[in-house]
Amino acid sequence: MFDRDIWQEIFHTLKNNKLRTFLTGFSVGWAIFILVMLLASVNGMQNGFTNQFNDDATNTIFIRPGTTSKAYAGFEKGRRVQFKNDDIDYIRKSFPEDIEYLSARYFNGTSARYKSETGSYRVQAVHPEFQMIEKILVTNGRFFNDADLTNKSKVAIIGRKVKEDLFKKEDALGKFVELNGSLFRVIGIFIDEGDDNAERRIYMPISTYQRTYGNTNDISAIALTYNPSYDLTKALEFSGRLEDIMKRRHKVSPEDQSGVNVWNYAEAFDDISSFSAVLNTISIGVGFLILIAGIVGIGNIMVFTIKERTKEIGVRKALGAMPKQIINLVLLESTFITTLSGFIGLIFAWIILSLIGPNINTPAFSNPSVSLSTVVTATIILIVAGVLAGLIPAIKAANVKPIVALSDK
Amino acid sequence: MIEIKDLHKSYKMGSNSLHVLKGINFTAEAGELVAIMGSSGSGKSTLLNILGMLDGADSGEYILDGVPIKDLTETKAAQYRNKFLGFIFQSFNLINYKSALENVALPLYYQKVGRKERQVKALSYLERVGLKEWATHLPSELSGGQKQRVAIARAMAAEPKVLLADEPTGALDSTTSYEVMDLIQKINDEGNTILVVTHEEDIAHMCKRIVHLKDGVIVEDKKIKQVRAEQYV
Repeated sequence: MFDRDIWQEIFHTLKNNKLRTFLTGFSVGWAIFILVMLLASVNGMQNGFTNQFNDDATNTIFIRPGTTSKAYAGFEKGRRVQFKNDDIDYIRKSFPEDIEYLSARYFNGTSARYKSETGSYRVQAVHPEFQMIEKILVTNGRFFNDADLTNKSKVAIIGRKVKEDLFKKEDALGKFVELNGSLFRVIGIFIDEGDDNAERRIYMPISTYQRTYGNTNDISAIALTYNPSYDLTKALEFSGRLEDIMKRRHKVSPEDQSGVNVWNYAEAFDDISSFSAVLNTISIGVGFLILIAGIVGIGNIMVFTIKERTKEIGVRKALGAMPKQIINLVLLESTFITTLSGFIGLIFAWIILSLIGPNINTPAFSNPSVSLSTVVTATIILIVAGVLAGLIPAIKAANVKPIVALSDK
Repeated sequence: MIEIKDLHKSYKMGSNSLHVLKGINFTAEAGELVAIMGSSGSGKSTLLNILGMLDGADSGEYILDGVPIKDLTETKAAQYRNKFLGFIFQSFNLINYKSALENVALPLYYQKVGRKERQVKALSYLERVGLKEWATHLPSELSGGQKQRVAIARAMAAEPKVLLADEPTGALDSTTSYEVMDLIQKINDEGNTILVVTHEEDIAHMCKRIVHLKDGVIVEDKKIKQVRAEQYV
């Protein structure tokens, strides 16, 4: 295989048949190019989907109260369900094994003022654990902690946009900002890549909010993450239990779809990943079909070549070439063309992807690229393809009878 | 050197078969220069093909240098051809994209002779046929006679027991034919066994023995006085 003479022969034949070599190589190179581009596109779509979700932990469940749509347990339908602080305690006690982080949410609009700058923003009053649930990235200062929660400290963590609007170039940490008439000390600034709206939020302890504005125990919603070791089945089973218990607690019919709403990220994620898995399979399938066309093309041309070289093969056999050596020659030639041209297609696709890939960043399609494993797989496929393409012609060549090959005088 | 006993060969032509060789008995000693003559269809090429292991016989014995040649697989035939036989064809059958030197070196390559040694050997054989200066030329740059001399060098390179020449002068004009025959005679003088298939009387008479084939049997087998080709060159 690493015999210098064989390679010399192969280069010789390829050099003497430039057009043939080019056409053959092109079909395979093109096939690989398309295969890689297809896979990269699917990858881009996947990236797009994932980007939309990756701010939040993927094991998140949101529970929101709604309005009942069925009469149940002596209540008429159309009743508004209201969650309260003790719902949080109840869930925490009911599912000690299943829950990783748990937080209440209370959202409201607020007007904010610092010196002469004003603006209106969304306030989210939560528990400290919410930082982990929503993966809030605090770049300056800190998020509030359990002590802040217990003391009902009037502290706020503001988004980067809020900071820019109100404080301009001034350092915001430790300053007091007026929210709906009450003063809060800014103890942290957070950022959220790719989501400007999220950076217009202000976080504060739920206890502080409830005492400052209306002395209430009401909460708007509940967010939690479950044990990260759970697989999809376990996660769905858990959110089912959660829904049952919350419906029972708030006297909502088990059949009622709107009284209590439990929304599990895992479900959405499962839909997306099965969708992109299907897409992936289809693109691999299509790519393979194109590749097969290329392989058939090479095989075809190799058969033709053998026909053209029948006499030469006959001479070689008369001179003592063994069938094995003839097969080697043909197989190596086809493998060489396939691999080389496939690589060219691969490199082309790679260049195009690395030039335009990083510049594409839309919600549905972002940074199309191929992984190293794809490239390695493609290479192995190419070599196998080359061998396959050369196999029939090679056997044909080895079966050439020297007598037939030499008889055309 | 060559021993053939009751050799039969027939070809299937559709429904009926054509009996080409009908019991050939023939022996050739080492160092002989034998012309096999006959009109077309007499079976002389078939005989040569069987001798050259390019084709198999239906029945009969064939012993080459003490080795019975039978039940050949492709691989075994290739090994025997490489070890025992050198071929010279009417149409030269040089590989057209290889230089004269590479053509001569080819059988050595199949004998797994190392690259350096191959080149040296091939060049010395080219020198013997007087074409050392043409070593790097492609066949297309050579005349007919030169091509046949390269082919002879190639047949010689593997140092075979027997040289088989199938109409070696068939594609050449008479002067060139004599040059080639002169070369063949000289090679024979060195003790090589050579079989020449020809239908030309003058070429046959440059051998030492003439075997006449007709309708698949040997009708005449006589030793002759060799005509030296040298005098016509």
